[in-house]
Amino acid sequence: MPKLNYLPFTRIVATPAALDVTIWPTEALALRTAADEVLLLSSAPPTLVDPHAIVVPDSGFVGAWLPAEAVQAIFEQHCEWALPATRSVFVQGAVAGIAAKLWLEAERGLLIVPAAYGHDFAERTGLA
Amino acid sequence: MNIIVNTMPVAFEAGDSVLVALQRAGLHPNRGGCLCAAGDCPHCLATVNGVAYVRTCQTLAQPGMIVESFPTDDYPHLPTNTQRGPTVSARNLHCDVVVIGMGESGQVAAAAATAAGKSVITLDDKVGQEVVGIYPELMVVARTSAGMLHIHAHDEVVVATGAAEIQPVAPGNHLRGIVTPRAAAHLAAKGVALGRVVVVESGDAVDLSASPTLNIIAHLKGQVLQFEGLDTLQAVVVLDENGHSQRIECDTAVVWLGLTPRDLLVRMAAGLKVRAVGDAAREADLPPCPDAGMVCSCSNVSAADLQRVWDQGFHEMELVKRATLVGTGPCQGVVCVPHMRSFLATRTAAADSSANPDIARLSKVQAPFTARPVVRQLTLGEVAAGAHHHATPRTGLDAEHRRLGAVMDRIGGWWRPWHYGNPLAEYWAVREAVSIGDVSTLGKIIVSGPDALAFLERLYPTKVSSIAVGRSRYVLILDERGYVMDDGLICKDSDTRYTLTFTSGGSSHAEMWLRDWAEGWNMDVRILNQTMSLGAINVTGPLATQLLQRAGLTQPYKFMQHGHASIADVPCRVYRLSFTGEVSYELHHPVDQSAKLWRTLMTLGADLGIRPHGLQTLLQLRLEKGHVIVGQDTDFDSTPRRIGMEWALRMDKADFLGKPAIERTNKTVLDKQLVGFEMPAPAPFEGANIMHEGEYVGYVTSSTYSPVLGKVVMLGWLKLVNGTLPSEVMIDGRPARRVDVPFYDKEGARAKA
Amino acid sequence: MNEFQERKINLTWREPKRSYDVVIVGGGGHGLAAAYYLATRHGITNVAVLERNYIGSGNSGRNTTIIRANYGIPESVKFYQRSVDLYQSLEAETDRWIMHKQKGLINVAHNEAGLRTERARAAVNAAFGSKTDFITPAEVKKLCPQIDLSGGGEYPVLGASYHHSGSTARHDRVVWAYAEGAMQRGVDVHQRISVTGMLKDGDKVTGVQTTAGPISAKVVMSAVGGQVTQLADMAGVRLPIRSHPLQAFVTNHYSLSFEPILASPALLFYVSQTARGEMLMGAEIDRQPSYSYGTGHHLLQTTSYRAITLLPFLRDLRILRQWTGVCDMSPDYSPIMGFTGVEGFIITSGWGTWGFKGIPASGEQMAELIATGKTPELIAPFALDRFARDRTMADRGSAGTH
Repeated sequence: MPKLNYLPFTRIVATPAALDVTIWPTEALALRTAADEVLLLSSAPPTLVDPHAIVVPDSGFVGAWLPAEAVQAIFEQHCEWALPATRSVFVQGAVAGIAAKLWLEAERGLLIVPAAYGHDFAERTGLA
Repeated sequence: MNIIVNTMPVAFEAGDSVLVALQRAGLHPNRGGCLCAAGDCPHCLATVNGVAYVRTCQTLAQPGMIVESFPTDDYPHLPTNTQRGPTVSARNLHCDVVVIGMGESGQVAAAAATAAGKSVITLDDKVGQEVVGIYPELMVVARTSAGMLHIHAHDEVVVATGAAEIQPVAPGNHLRGIVTPRAAAHLAAKGVALGRVVVVESGDAVDLSASPTLNIIAHLKGQVLQFEGLDTLQAVVVLDENGHSQRIECDTAVVWLGLTPRDLLVRMAAGLKVRAVGDAAREADLPPCPDAGMVCSCSNVSAADLQRVWDQGFHEMELVKRATLVGTGPCQGVVCVPHMRSFLATRTAAADSSANPDIARLSKVQAPFTARPVVRQLTLGEVAAGAHHHATPRTGLDAEHRRLGAVMDRIGGWWRPWHYGNPLAEYWAVREAVSIGDVSTLGKIIVSGPDALAFLERLYPTKVSSIAVGRSRYVLILDERGYVMDDGLICKDSDTRYTLTFTSGGSSHAEMWLRDWAEGWNMDVRILNQTMSLGAINVTGPLATQLLQRAGLTQPYKFMQHGHASIADVPCRVYRLSFTGEVSYELHHPVDQSAKLWRTLMTLGADLGIRPHGLQTLLQLRLEKGHVIVGQDTDFDSTPRRIGMEWALRMDKADFLGKPAIERTNKTVLDKQLVGFEMPAPAPFEGANIMHEGEYVGYVTSSTYSPVLGKVVMLGWLKLVNGTLPSEVMIDGRPARRVDVPFYDKEGARAKA
Repeated sequence: MNEFQERKINLTWREPKRSYDVVIVGGGGHGLAAAYYLATRHGITNVAVLERNYIGSGNSGRNTTIIRANYGIPESVKFYQRSVDLYQSLEAETDRWIMHKQKGLINVAHNEAGLRTERARAAVNAAFGSKTDFITPAEVKKLCPQIDLSGGGEYPVLGASYHHSGSTARHDRVVWAYAEGAMQRGVDVHQRISVTGMLKDGDKVTGVQTTAGPISAKVVMSAVGGQVTQLADMAGVRLPIRSHPLQAFVTNHYSLSFEPILASPALLFYVSQTARGEMLMGAEIDRQPSYSYGTGHHLLQTTSYRAITLLPFLRDLRILRQWTGVCDMSPDYSPIMGFTGVEGFIITSGWGTWGFKGIPASGEQMAELIATGKTPELIAPFALDRFARDRTMADRGSAGTH
């Protein structure tokens, strides 16, 4: 199993309307965690129409890319909600009792938790 | 192959249940009672491999399995195992429809759902899948040999569990040698010798022709009046359909009284999408009203007991249950409820309801009482499978603290270092040299937007507009009832952007609090919670500035000033402030770089006498300064007036959260205040009573011996006595004096140096 | 016949009259105790208790039967100590066996904050006549040999408070003892009659409208649990109460060998062994308000996990049954007793998770209030108007516990 690593996100809070119309850099992974928030994995900064947007580097999350079957296994053992059938898809909720985020592609998924819970999450799911 | 029954080996054949193995050897798992061999009754319960109350008819015999009967004069003993944790694992499965029971009606239901394009999961106790309960949001919990299943059904749960055979109630029904027709067929098929068999049935339902090995010496329609024998059945007395009573000697009595639906799962799932089909949905047959014999062997309740409590005025099913404990045992009332209903229906019909208004308001045939999970008992070790208790977050320095040998404690919802082995040295490092402490747990939230100022002005009791860019201010945080909820800083980054801090304990609530009010007041602001994204290290002590200059701080910071700087090559937000009473800088930084920053500071400060300090020392330092810890020194009803911090309010502001409540409560008579006390060592414990002239007048909230002052300093709640605060009190049985805070460096010269 | 069956009690049911001096809504412990004390202490017997289901069918029959007075503030310690004392003499007074047993209650602490709370608890209890000691882990082990003091390495026991008068009694028997005692003296108890509205003369309450017709009364007292806000609403009283489910479960019966009541406020569970040998466990309150008696799996799961952490022997015990009570929580987690501001309508409410232990004292004091028309000193701090007067009963250490 891969280890959980700090993820070099850019965290963006802006009006929902501004986020709706933002064109994210190609190759970037933009995770819409809330109507007013995006977690962005990208080397290039985005252009936002909201002058009051908060855009900060954020190393507060750890995560790991896992094969899709490994994600499935973790969910079956540690999660009461079902993975959606569609791919690629972004979902959030409690996994192993900890607030987690998941970006799931056809073959693999990026499982993300706050760094403060990384230790417990790894211990509970065997990602140590 | 043997199982071990009460220390003796007993042979079994592959596929035998424990019950079958026992019966084959002429043994009964317990004292006696009618056997159903179908998991309905409590008469085959035994302790299996150390777990008591296992249905032996539902348990596959395995070589070396330890089976113990219950003690004859007591309940099973409590186990003594010392291993913790779940004993099995749990899997979560998802589907549209769950079908429980794969008899004919279950198969039909499953096929229909599948044909309708639904995903279906079927469960069948015949293959060892025992359903334990159905829970809200439609989760079916089942026990299997491979662990627990938590099955989440989107559409519905179909209960096709069939019906249970009603067992006989008559004197002697506790004997060995009584079985239901299904049990007789099952045991015969397994080659169990049942000897001379008498069949007694209430109708024409029993056909045992498929069990040719049974030696049936009589097959009667009628009712058993008595089962005779000492431990084991020797004869039955039967009242036949012609009204004749006859006594027949036999080894086994097969008794049929009709069926009662196995609907516990349906009855516990009121309001959920759960549907019974087949026999599970049938009407329950009512057996004859029981006049004598054991009605409930789980709780040892006889027909005479039912009559007695009826005569005492307990007429309702639930009350009869509670008065006798009938139906409260392991079988969940499957055996006794049909007889109870029959008893109550008969008595209700016979009663003169005009003379008894309580009976008049009862239904003629009462419904079975509510079913409660669990229907198949499972151990705490099994139910704990898949449990995840609350995880306590850790700062980016958690490993660092543990490496340094810190005693870690859960404080304010986080793992934090309590001390590093020498709290006194930690204390003096702060007061005389320099020390670092992990304050990553502080709440840190950015508010940005055109309404940022207006929003905070309405939220906070301080005059936010008078804070300059690059400056910070200490604030009390009030709820709408005017009670102190938290405290922290407002730091102005620009005209439209502020950073707010909160205490560790308050931070989990702070973001929702801000968002709720921003939405409620329709404020145009963006809110970002950085609490878990930024680490924070407090550098404090007279040599703090010197250390930071070594680490890259180029410009001096004034008290309550903040800005950005690269410290030890880590991008930091620097806040000059003070909680310890000494010069202090909080360095907020990306949490992945906490360890780097910490270690560099420790190295650079080695010759300055640097030491890390834990929470114990921090609490001691702040107490010398009289700083209040919200949650420790305050309670639910702490107004600024009661904690002596009205200076933090600007009552001349047009409005702020809690202002109307404070205006109202300020008019009431002040009843108590949080004040300072001092006394000679040793320090009383926190929580000690404060007495005045023999009367209780309050209690200590914080207490410590102050090394620098050479005496004990305390905060505590003190009631006003005749309108004034007593100045001489007794704490922990010794005299103490009320004094003004702060206790140390009253002018704050050291913090501002 | 098992030894725990009811043998002596005789319940007398009569036709409802059209008018009473006092109508008590809610035939649980609180309502019946008030009726009992009205009859026995004040000779007021023209009283009806109306119960929409059967007596004791609400939280009186769903609680975990713990009696204690180890609260964190003087007013509560005094009040519950009165209840402890009344419970102790109830069997002698009524000649009915309520299965009262003094067991001692251990509240264990797993961190510094917990130690502070338990030390403070012991101190304030001692000051107000309730015997609670702060004890060491070794003393905990002596009182409860089954405990794993290391808490599985995760929740070590660092100390505890030991409340000597922590007891249990059989909840149903308490209800019946009060019901029978009241009935014997002429009080009417009516089952399966629901209150559907209030009879009013202007703002004043003059009786109740029921499924069995109108019944007038000089005083209407609400002793309702669960849907008390709706009932108070009918009388024109707004109550600051939210209802939360509280779950509990029992195991099968085992030989008696677990002596004390053990609670871990940090692990949010408590456990005792009933007279019938069941291990009885209670969990935290559900933070989501609800009136539902439905039972969830999640709390059963996590409570089991936590219980095993501290008491590993529980691991192989089989759970028999779980159930849910509804807790009426006031903003300061203390009950609300007394006048409401509406003439003719008084309440005893907001019983949170402490309803059972409060039954005798609440009944006694409310009866005195009705008989004298004045609020007795013991319950004056619990009046409804305390919220408006900024005299809330802040007791941080007791929030949300058993």
